[in-house]
Formats: sequence, structure tokens, C-alpha cells
Amino acid sequence: MDFCRTVDLLYTALPLRPLRGWLIRGHMERCPRCQARLLSREEARGLLVAPDGVGNADAIWRQISSQAGRLTAFSETRPAMAGAKWRWAAAAATAAVIAVTGFWLLREVEKPGFGPTAAGPADRFEIDYVNVGGAPAQTFVFQPQGTDTVFVWASKNL
Amino acid sequence: MENGKKPSVDEREIIEGCLRGSPVSNRAMVEAFGNLVMSVALNVVGNRQDAEDVCQETFLQVFRRLDRYDPARSFKTWLLTIAYRRSLDMLRKKRRFSEFSSKARHEPAVAERGANPHPAGPEPLPSALLKTLSPRERTALCLWANEGYTARDISEVLACSASTARVYLFNARRKIKTLLENDHGLLQNG
Repeated sequence: MDFCRTVDLLYTALPLRPLRGWLIRGHMERCPRCQARLLSREEARGLLVAPDGVGNADAIWRQISSQAGRLTAFSETRPAMAGAKWRWAAAAATAAVIAVTGFWLLREVEKPGFGPTAAGPADRFEIDYVNVGGAPAQTFVFQPQGTDTVFVWASKNL
Repeated sequence: MENGKKPSVDEREIIEGCLRGSPVSNRAMVEAFGNLVMSVALNVVGNRQDAEDVCQETFLQVFRRLDRYDPARSFKTWLLTIAYRRSLDMLRKKRRFSEFSSKARHEPAVAERGANPHPAGPEPLPSALLKTLSPRERTALCLWANEGYTARDISEVLACSASTARVYLFNARRKIKTLLENDHGLLQNG
């Protein structure tokens, strides 16, 4: 018996739990004296609460029935499936809106005159004032017909 | 009302009913396994109020997650795994609360919230000797003694190897036996 206690103490002092477990198991399985010193199933039952001794299962059901009822109601309505149905409807509606808008945009693009207005260079050219020699000068803007070239002429006011 | 002793209860039917969300099946499941879960919770957490909370949380989790249950495995073991984990959560919660209340000892109103409002009644409680065991050892001992589980079955519940489960069981049986022998010796000497 003393040998077993010494071995026990040595094993308990081991820092590595797997090694300690392996040694304890090995010793317990081989040592008849240690096996005789183990609690029997009947003795253990005397210390534990058995399922038969905890009382009535109806009482346990009453405790959880309110929450279980909510759970049941929740699962019966199948919110996930209902959500999925709405998701399909929303996706279909979005696709329809995109298709109609796209069709309308295509039609608009194909119409003549769509896009930036092709205004003439003279219309797009603007000079507020031109100073020549520190004084405002006379300015002339000239665009030859049939070309995009714009000439700007500035002359000093005399 | 251990499940194994009730062959009339069709486990499969109950599970399928619960999966459909049938309240009748939910009730049947609690009636079939409620005492089993309650006894494991009571033996692991050590007091009735916490065990009732564990039992409630276990069944609510089972109803929510039943679709994850693998029919190839034992339903009872799956259920007890959840009950064991809920019990561990409860013990952790209690430990955190006791740490907090020991820090806030000057606030008795807060500290008293953790006290059991129901004093020890006629309901059976596990022996105080079990408090000397770790939660894993208590669970291993409970499953072995009450349910006849082998080390392999216990290892599934504790999520460890069968060898480790065997060590937990050895330690539990040896510690309690030693305590019982010491008590017996004290009684004889005294």
C-alpha cells in the first residue's frame, strides 16, 4: 500500500498531464490493491442523485414550456422561408426596374442630338477682356467658315 | 424515468416531431429525458436551482439545434454532451460571480443576489464529497454509476480521449473512496 501511495505522489508531481494520466492509468489497471481501493458503482450511486430521484418530469416541462412555446411558434411561422420569399419578390422587382430604366436609357441614347451639344467654336469661345500694355484692348474673334479654327485679334486702344 | 428503461418511447418519432416544431413532441422529449438531464446537471453543479437552469437551457438548445444532431450517434450521448457543457458554463458563471462578489463585499445587496433563495429542501442533493472532485471527474463518475457508461461513452460527452476519460474516472473513484475510508476511520476512532 505504501508503495502505491509513493507512486501516487510521484505521479501527482509530474508536470505533464498526458504523461501523468498514462502512468496513473497503467498503474491502476495493473495494481490489484489500487483496484480494490476504488469506489464501487453501488457506493457511487449512493452519493449521486439518480434520474429517478430528481422528481417529476412534468415540473421540468412546466419550467421550460413558456420558452419552448415561443420557440415552437417561431419555428412554425418559418421566418427564414418567409424572408426568402420576400427576397425573391424584391429581387424580381429590382430586376424589372433595372430592365425598364435600361431600355429607356438606350432609347434616349439612340435619339438624334443625344449627348453634349455640338456648339460652334465661336459660341464656346468667350473672352471677358484683354489687356495690352496695362490697358484694355480691342478684341476681335474670327472663325473662318467651315473650320474649327478661331482667331483672336487684340489691338491696343489708341 | 431513465430513458433506457422506457422502451415505449420512440426516440426517433420524438426527434422528428421536435424537428417539425411540434409542441407535443417537445413535451415528450422533456418527459423522456428531463430527469436524466436534471440528474446529470444536479450532480455536476451541485444545487437544484442552478441544475434547473441548466436543464432549461439544455432543452432550449436541443430544440434549436436538433437539426445538427447526427442520427448515427446516440441521441442520449448528444443530449448529455449539451447538458455537460451547459453545466460547465453555469459553474464558470458562478465562479465569475463569486469572484465579483468577493471583490464587492462592501455591497451586500449585490452579493446577496447570488445566494440561493430556496433553502435546502426535501429534494435530494448529491453528496458533499463530490465537491472535492473536478466537474469532469463528477461527470465521469455520474455517467459511469448512473448510466452505466463506458470510458469511451464518457469520452464522447467530455470531448476527450477514452484514456483520459478513464483517468478521470479512476481519480474520482479513488478520491471518494479515500475520503469515505478516512471518514469511516474517524468515526471508529472517535
